Amino acid sequence: MLDPTVLIFLSSGLFLGWSLGANDAANVFGTAVGSRMVRFTTAAIICGVFVVLGAFVSGTGAAQTLGKLGAVNAIGGSFMAALAAGLTVYWMTKLGLPVSTSQAIIGSIIGWNLFSDSYTDISSLLKILSTWIICPLLSAVIAAILFTLSKFFVRKMGVGLIRFDGYTRVALILAGAFGAYSLGANNIANVMGVFVPVAPFPDMQFGQGFSISSAQQLFLVGGLAIAVGVFTYSKRVMMTVGSELMRLTPLAAWVAVMSHSIVLFLFASERLEQLLANMSLPTIPLVPVSSSQAVVGAVIGIGMLQGGREIQWPRVYSIVKGWVITPGISCLLCFVGLYFLQNVFQQTVQRDSTYLLSASVIEKFQKEGIETSGLQELTGTVFRSSAEVVRSVEEKVMLNSTQGLKVVEYSLQKNMVVTAEKIAEMDKNGLSSAQLDALSNLEGQTYNFPWQLGDALAEISTEWVVRGGGLKNKLHDRKIKQKLTYLYRIFYRR
Amino acid sequence: MNPLSLFFKKQYAIEEKIQRLLRYLEDMAHLYQEAYKAFLDGSLEDLTQGNEELGQIEKELDDIGRQIQMSLLHESLMPDSRDDLLWFLTKLDKVPSSFKHSLADIVLEKPEIPEDFILPLKDMLSHTHDAVQALANATDSLFSDLRAVRQHVEEVSRQESMVDKIEYKLLQAVFENEKFELARKYQLKGILKQLGAVTNLAEDVADAVLILATKHST
Repeated sequence: MLDPTVLIFLSSGLFLGWSLGANDAANVFGTAVGSRMVRFTTAAIICGVFVVLGAFVSGTGAAQTLGKLGAVNAIGGSFMAALAAGLTVYWMTKLGLPVSTSQAIIGSIIGWNLFSDSYTDISSLLKILSTWIICPLLSAVIAAILFTLSKFFVRKMGVGLIRFDGYTRVALILAGAFGAYSLGANNIANVMGVFVPVAPFPDMQFGQGFSISSAQQLFLVGGLAIAVGVFTYSKRVMMTVGSELMRLTPLAAWVAVMSHSIVLFLFASERLEQLLANMSLPTIPLVPVSSSQAVVGAVIGIGMLQGGREIQWPRVYSIVKGWVITPGISCLLCFVGLYFLQNVFQQTVQRDSTYLLSASVIEKFQKEGIETSGLQELTGTVFRSSAEVVRSVEEKVMLNSTQGLKVVEYSLQKNMVVTAEKIAEMDKNGLSSAQLDALSNLEGQTYNFPWQLGDALAEISTEWVVRGGGLKNKLHDRKIKQKLTYLYRIFYRR
Repeated sequence: MNPLSLFFKKQYAIEEKIQRLLRYLEDMAHLYQEAYKAFLDGSLEDLTQGNEELGQIEKELDDIGRQIQMSLLHESLMPDSRDDLLWFLTKLDKVPSSFKHSLADIVLEKPEIPEDFILPLKDMLSHTHDAVQALANATDSLFSDLRAVRQHVEEVSRQESMVDKIEYKLLQAVFENEKFELARKYQLKGILKQLGAVTNLAEDVADAVLILATKHST
C-alpha cells in the first residue's frame, strides 16, 4: 500500500511538471497557435498525448545522467529539489524571463549535494553544462540547414499559396507532435528524475513479457502533470511566444519547431545512441536539455541566415541572463529549503549512508585502476558522506572525476542478501537464463557492498561481466548496470 | 478524386472559388472585346447587349469575390498571408470595373470613330484581352504553381507595352489631325485612355501577383 505522504512529497514534482507543461509547450506549439495556424484545443490534445508517450516510452535515458550528477536518496530531499526548481521556474516566468526547467533542476541537485555533503560528479556536471552551450548552437545549425533546404524545396515545388498554407498547417501539427514526444522523453528527467532513486511505486507486472517499472510509473505521472500544465495554463504563453525574438513565417515556424524537436530527440534517444555506437561513431550524451534553449537557438539560426537584422538582440540577452541566473537561484532555494525541511519540519531530506574503506574496497579500487599506495592507513575508516570519503581519498591520492564516482560507488555500504523468496518474486524480464542461473547459484549469500554481488555474478557467468572501454561496450555495460541496480534494490536488506 | 482533398477541404474549396472568379474574369475580357468590336463594326445593338451581359457577370464576380473574402476572414485560413491576399483581391476587383466603365462610356457617348482608327483599336482590344488572359493565368499560378507566375506576369507586361505603343500612336494621330475639333479630340483621347487603362490596371495587378509569389517562395 502506497504511503499517502509519498503523494504529498510527489506534489512538488507534479508542480514542476505542471509548470513545464504550461511554459515549454509554448516552444512546441507557440508559433502555430500564436499565428492561429493551429487551434489551441488541437495543439493541447496533441501535445498532451505525445508528451505522456515520450515520457513513458523514452524517458529513462536522460534521467540516468541526472541521477549520476547527484542521487537524491530521500523523498524529502527530492520534494525540496523539485519544489525549489518549480518555484524558480515560476518566479522567472513572473519576471518575464523564459524558463529553463533543466537549469533549475540542475541547480537544485547541486543544492542538495552541498546540503547533504554528497559528492558532485564533475564530469557529469560538465557534460550537462556543455549541453547548455551545445544545445542552442546545435539547434541554430540544424535550423539554418533545415531552413535552407526547406526554402529550396518549397521554391522547387512551387506549391500554390493556399495549398501551401494547408501543408504547412499539417507539417506544424506533425512537427508539434514530434516536439511534444521529444519534450516528454528528454524533459521528464527534469520533472521526475530526482524521484527515481527513491521511486515510491512497486514495479507492475502485466502477464508474461510486459511490466512497468517504478521509474516508468513515475514518468507516466510526471507526463500527465505536464499534460495538465499544457491544458490549463499554456494558452497565454503560446499566444505570446514566436513574436518575441523575431517574426516568423509559417515555414520558419515549422523549421524552428523541427530543429528544437530534433535536438531534444538527439539528447534523449537511446536507440540513436545505440545506432551511432554500432557504427563506431561518437555518441551524443543523453542529457536533459532546455527546450527553451533549443527553440531560441533555432530562431536565432534562422535569423542569422537572413542577416540577423530582425533578431531582437536585447531580448536574446535577457534570455541568456535568465539561463545564467536560474541554476544559482534554484541551488540557493533548495539549500535553504532543505535546512528548514530538516530542522523546522523534522523531515528526512537525506538517507544516512555509510562509506567504508575496507581492505576489500581498497583492493577493488586497485583493480579499477585507482592508485592505492597511500590508502592503507585509511583501511577500516567509516565516512558519513560521499563527499567526505572522496575528500579523504583525494588527500592521499589524485583522483579524476570518474575515479571519484567509483570511490563513492565501491565504498558505499549496503547489505545484500540473496534469498530464494526474493528471486521468486522479482521481475525476470530482460534477464537471460545464464544470468538467472548465476543468480540462483548465489542463493543464501550475503554481501556488505553492492559491487560484491555484481562481481560474484560476473565470476559465475560472463553474461554479467561489465566489459568497460569502447563505444559498443558502453551500451552493453549500461544494460548490465541497469540490471545490477535493479538487483541491488531487490536484495538490499535495510 | 484527389485523396488530399479530404485533408485540405477548406483550402480546396477556396481554390475552387478562385478558379470560378478567374473564369468570370476571362469571360468578361472576352465579352468586352466582342462588344467593343461590335461597336467598331457599327452594331450598337450588340454593344448594348454585351454591356448588359458584362454587368450580370460582374455581379456574379462580385458575389464570388465576397465569398472568398468571407472564407479567408471567418475560416481562419492563411493567417500569415491573409492580409496580402485580401489586398490582392481588392486590386483584382478593379479590373472588371474598368471593363464596365470603359464600355459604359462608349454606350453613353457613342463616339464617332475615324475609319483609320478601327483596325489599330481592334489590335488594342486583342492585346487587352490577351493581357487580362495572362493576368488570369498568373493569378491561377499563384494558387497552383508559383514557378509559372513570372512567365505569365512578363506576358502581361508585353501586352501592356503593345497597347501603350498603339495608344500613343493613335493619340498622336488625334492631336495632329487638324480636321478634328478640340471637343472630338478630347472625346477620342478619353476613349483611348479608358481602353489603355484596362491593361495598365492588369499590369498593376500582375505586379502584385509577382510580389506575393516572390514573398511566399522566399
